[in-house]
Amino acid sequence: MLAKLIVYCAYYLKSADWYRKAKLFFYDLLENSHSRKKKYFDATMIGLLILSVIFLIYDIEHEDSKMGGYFELAILMVFIVEYCLRGWIYSDTYKVIIEEYEKALYLNLDFNLLGVFRKAFVRDMEYITSPFAIIDILAILPSYRPLAILRIFIIFRLFKLFRYSNSAKLFADALASKRFELMTLLIFTCFLVFIASVSIYMFEYQATNSGIHNLFDAFYWTIVTLATVGFGDITPQTTGGRWVTIFLILASLGVLSFFTSILIAAFSEKMLSVRETRTYAELDRYDNFIIICGFGRVGQEIARHLHNDRQKFLIIDRVPARIELAKKRGYLAIESDASNNEVLINAGICRGASAILCITGDDVINVYVTLTSRHLNKNLRIISRANRHDNVNKLYQAGADNVIRPFEIAGLLAAEFVGQPVAFEAISGILHNQTETVMESVLVSEKSPLDNQQIGQLDLQQRKLTLLGVISDNPIHLKHKNKYQVKQQHFYFNPEVDFILRHGDMLVLLGRKYGIDHFRDQVEQRRLFSRKPK
Amino acid sequence: MKNIAVFGYNRLSFEAISRLDKELYQITVIDHDPIKAALARENGFETANIDFRSDDDLKLIGIGAHIDTLFCFFDTDSENVFLTLSARALDKELNIVAIVDSPESAEKLIAAGANKIIDPYEICGRKIHDMLKRPDINDIFDHTVFGRHDLHLAEVTIPENSYLENAHVAQLHLSSQYNLILIGIVNKQVSEQLHFVVEEFDRRLSVGDILVILGPSREIRAFKKDVENEFCKI
Repeated sequence: MLAKLIVYCAYYLKSADWYRKAKLFFYDLLENSHSRKKKYFDATMIGLLILSVIFLIYDIEHEDSKMGGYFELAILMVFIVEYCLRGWIYSDTYKVIIEEYEKALYLNLDFNLLGVFRKAFVRDMEYITSPFAIIDILAILPSYRPLAILRIFIIFRLFKLFRYSNSAKLFADALASKRFELMTLLIFTCFLVFIASVSIYMFEYQATNSGIHNLFDAFYWTIVTLATVGFGDITPQTTGGRWVTIFLILASLGVLSFFTSILIAAFSEKMLSVRETRTYAELDRYDNFIIICGFGRVGQEIARHLHNDRQKFLIIDRVPARIELAKKRGYLAIESDASNNEVLINAGICRGASAILCITGDDVINVYVTLTSRHLNKNLRIISRANRHDNVNKLYQAGADNVIRPFEIAGLLAAEFVGQPVAFEAISGILHNQTETVMESVLVSEKSPLDNQQIGQLDLQQRKLTLLGVISDNPIHLKHKNKYQVKQQHFYFNPEVDFILRHGDMLVLLGRKYGIDHFRDQVEQRRLFSRKPK
Repeated sequence: MKNIAVFGYNRLSFEAISRLDKELYQITVIDHDPIKAALARENGFETANIDFRSDDDLKLIGIGAHIDTLFCFFDTDSENVFLTLSARALDKELNIVAIVDSPESAEKLIAAGANKIIDPYEICGRKIHDMLKRPDINDIFDHTVFGRHDLHLAEVTIPENSYLENAHVAQLHLSSQYNLILIGIVNKQVSEQLHFVVEEFDRRLSVGDILVILGPSREIRAFKKDVENEFCKI
């Protein structure tokens, strides 16, 4: 009966929307490092911790402070709730129950409730014995007043700080990566300490005025000398003792410099990946950014334009010098291989990226990155560069939306320039926004005043705008002449005055930037005001 | 017929030459690499085997004489600068188009006397930026003006005694009469700068003005013919 009730509860929780939502909410709050909630939560907890330690220290000096007591209690409650919540989201007990129940049902066995509890218990123990959970418990313990000895654990409350910042983990990782070197050094140091302590003890024990009366004094002197601290409270009196000192000082210089160099090497190696993580973390905050693979001349040019537009982008390149250049210019950049799935996923190809540009000088890499990106994200816009003509089709096959050939464009422009230099300069000026006159498109949206209006009624000449044409995929316009197929749409060049605009059409206008903006604003305003209240 | 000398045979020069109308241009390809020169011959271009470092050789192919335009399309900037400098010394009027590999060489090429610098990487970068920012307009231009569709840019100079002399810009009505769109006007005597037509409606046209128009090639031809015909009236 009890078993039935428990299984029923488990199924209920599985289907309950509120339960799932609550769990997700607390997961975001406590564990999900991508979530914004966790950042705020961590900051709050750090603040609370520091306050609590200050109050605890204050308590040591002032025995009966009431304020400190209440505050301590409040913080304690927060810590306990946090501990329990973490335990809760660590495992899904109902899943274990359902799994066991279905297994039993399938195998036609009795549902063993005890076995399920054992499994759940093992999972819980796993949580309780994890290092961070232990630190959490140790942070709670010092508040238990009857046991004054537990006060010593106040220091563990400070360890809890590490939970909310990555610096401690970073430090530990850096040291762990140099485990072998540190171990060698430690063994050597132990020998050194042992030899030096025993020698100084032998020489100095019987000397008059000697400070060394037992082996611990000798050990203490060795450590003080080895660390180059040298308090001077114990000094060698015999010639033999002084020789030992000379030997120890020389050896300790070597040990210390070796130790320092290991630490520096470990941190500088670690810094690279830290910077990368920071770059990714910064990207997390953005939507709609662009990934640029390859920071050669083309990449630099694009980055410059995007930077001017305040468009967010990330550069991935394998060459360290280029990454350095990118960083010097203040761009987000990662030194990595973009053909690697993991790199692209970390860069946010499935999360916030709106487009990827595969523009290295090597077509093989471009095809590979294009393929990888398309495989990872079906809706991403991919623009690729083909350095050889034969590779254009391969890039399209790999999934590129647009393929660009730098040498073809440059050759085309050279040819245009020879034929019609004036027209060429004019159009390239407009296309590249080098003049005050620009070419822009204005959308005819639904319920816009432009909808169902004739071109002749727009009074564009008065507005100092030139209409080049209309882009539309509306089949109603197909009867008009001067149409040019552009992808799935048609471009109607120089439409007649009786051309009737439909919503979804796009006007291609030439004029001053503010002229076009003004026209667009007016249209939008009239659309908003003409909307009838429902 | 214009004469063009193309120095350096590579992907870029191949694209440029293929875009040029063979009936309007006489093209000579020069490359100091015999393999590339042979490739150019195979592709049906006229080649010349000369050393670009020697002024006598440059004169031999007609620089300083009948060559109107020079393409400096070598792969290294130093060679392009050298060629530009030599050619400019031989002919002050020569139209020199040079490509540049690293951006700092652009100034050197201008100083050496090039008329137009083409930086393929910069153009490519700008183009990709355009694709991202204004995909619609970029597509239109790729498919029409720069693509296979019959929509072209053209420039028409107003000759003496043309009916357009002293005409108001507002009187032109190119869009209804010819299915052409007038984009702008350049007055060569004053400056090279293009005045966009939208701001110049009350302007009077004079001889030597260049009209920049956009439209199908048949209409452009018809308009050009009428402009030169002094008896045509608006």
